[in-house]
Amino acid sequence: MNVELTELTRRFGRTQAVTGVTLEAGPGVFGLLGPNGAGKTSLLRMMATVLPPTSGTLRLLGRDPGGYGPRREIRRRLGYLPQNLGYYPGFTVVDFVEYFALLKDMPPGQVPGAVATAIEQVGLGDRARAKLRTLSGGMLRRVGIAQAIVNQPELLLLDEPTAGLDPEQRVAFRTLLREFGQRATVIVSTHLVEDVAAACSEVTLMDAGRMVFHGTPDELIARGQGHGIGDAPLERGYSAVLAAARS
Amino acid sequence: MIGDDDRFGGYQDTGPAPGDVDLDRVWLGVAAQVWRREPGPAERAAGRLLHSPGLARALVTTPSLLLGWVIATVVILLAGVGFTLGTGTPWVALLAPAVAAAGIAYAYGPGIDPAWELSQSMAVSDRMVLLVRALAVFGLNAALGLAASAASGAAAEVTFGWLVPMTAVCALALAAATVTRSPNVGVAAGSAGWVIAILASQAAEGRFTAAITDSFFVLPYLAFAVCCGAVVWYATRIPRGTS
Repeated sequence: MNVELTELTRRFGRTQAVTGVTLEAGPGVFGLLGPNGAGKTSLLRMMATVLPPTSGTLRLLGRDPGGYGPRREIRRRLGYLPQNLGYYPGFTVVDFVEYFALLKDMPPGQVPGAVATAIEQVGLGDRARAKLRTLSGGMLRRVGIAQAIVNQPELLLLDEPTAGLDPEQRVAFRTLLREFGQRATVIVSTHLVEDVAAACSEVTLMDAGRMVFHGTPDELIARGQGHGIGDAPLERGYSAVLAAARS
Repeated sequence: MIGDDDRFGGYQDTGPAPGDVDLDRVWLGVAAQVWRREPGPAERAAGRLLHSPGLARALVTTPSLLLGWVIATVVILLAGVGFTLGTGTPWVALLAPAVAAAGIAYAYGPGIDPAWELSQSMAVSDRMVLLVRALAVFGLNAALGLAASAASGAAAEVTFGWLVPMTAVCALALAAATVTRSPNVGVAAGSAGWVIAILASQAAEGRFTAAITDSFFVLPYLAFAVCCGAVVWYATRIPRGTS
């Protein structure tokens, strides 16, 4: 298993952001759904080793990220796209992706090829030399995705990756996700249930810091049968599970 | 080459061209060469010394992150002016690096650095990157100070009394951190080096006992140090997520 979470909890002062989440994930694409404030971003940050858990155990890629050495090894094999990814406006696309490839400790000789591959994979080859300040929001999101995949990660964590992408780009992005999911664990936090339906083999639904559902998209759809709220079957399942969790 | 209408998955979807020439692979090889940025001599040397091309890149890119550099520069110059004017008690000298550290941590922490959270998930420690940035800011300012010293005696005082010694302290801290692979050890080594230098100079001037026993300013300075610590803590805190 690439991800093993046991009773994972995170508090911020008096606020309980994540409460007792237990989850295992191997290769595949996993969707993380939930309303605002559900704890998705905090959970993703813990898996990205950015945020230490308050309690519970966390093992990533077979290692405990609590120690310096294992954490460094995890980070070499990790790709992370934060929800609010900042950019250095004076950097070009190549500069930005290359900078983070080097901070991921990639062998310098492999960096130019890996950067070119990642930039082409997100369709930004024609803007490779453009300064980030000149790019649109959707293009910047794709730059963020490029830095996340540049090291061919075994664990890829994406927080709202399709925000700002147009429909054509989202379709292509889902293809990329499915390809990565064949050999890596891809965890995607999103508000868009159609992304989950199209790309994810499993889905976890969170509410108020707790995991309230874990299963396949079809199982989530089944939960929504007979439930009226939502335009699509998956949306009905989503709202049915949330309603049951809150009742 | 990938066309404008091909998006993320575009290049994988196209198969090999006639004659078994994989044009996509060829293009990626060409792109890698065309887009490749050759590091300069300073970056190559830093990469060898630091055993990390990532840290070397962080070192040379620090001044280009302009807003952070300007903020850090203003803070360390104010600390330096305070240090050079605050003669007579060692507390100013001992606490001045804390002011500079707080300024650099804020300028290149989440307060200003837009990619801070991403940096925290990298294999190269974000604290090592901060140490590198401290050396870059002091080093560049020392170079500018040396140039300004030719025209101004006040600039020479700040440069040789503060910027150059602190550049050496930052280099010592980074060297210790690189050797031990621990930024905390680096900070401890740099701090110890600075404290020893200050107290030794006080002792050489026969003011060591007075420097230690003069308690009039101890509480204000300690309060000031706590404020600096609070800034460092705030600048490197982990904010809560939004979803």
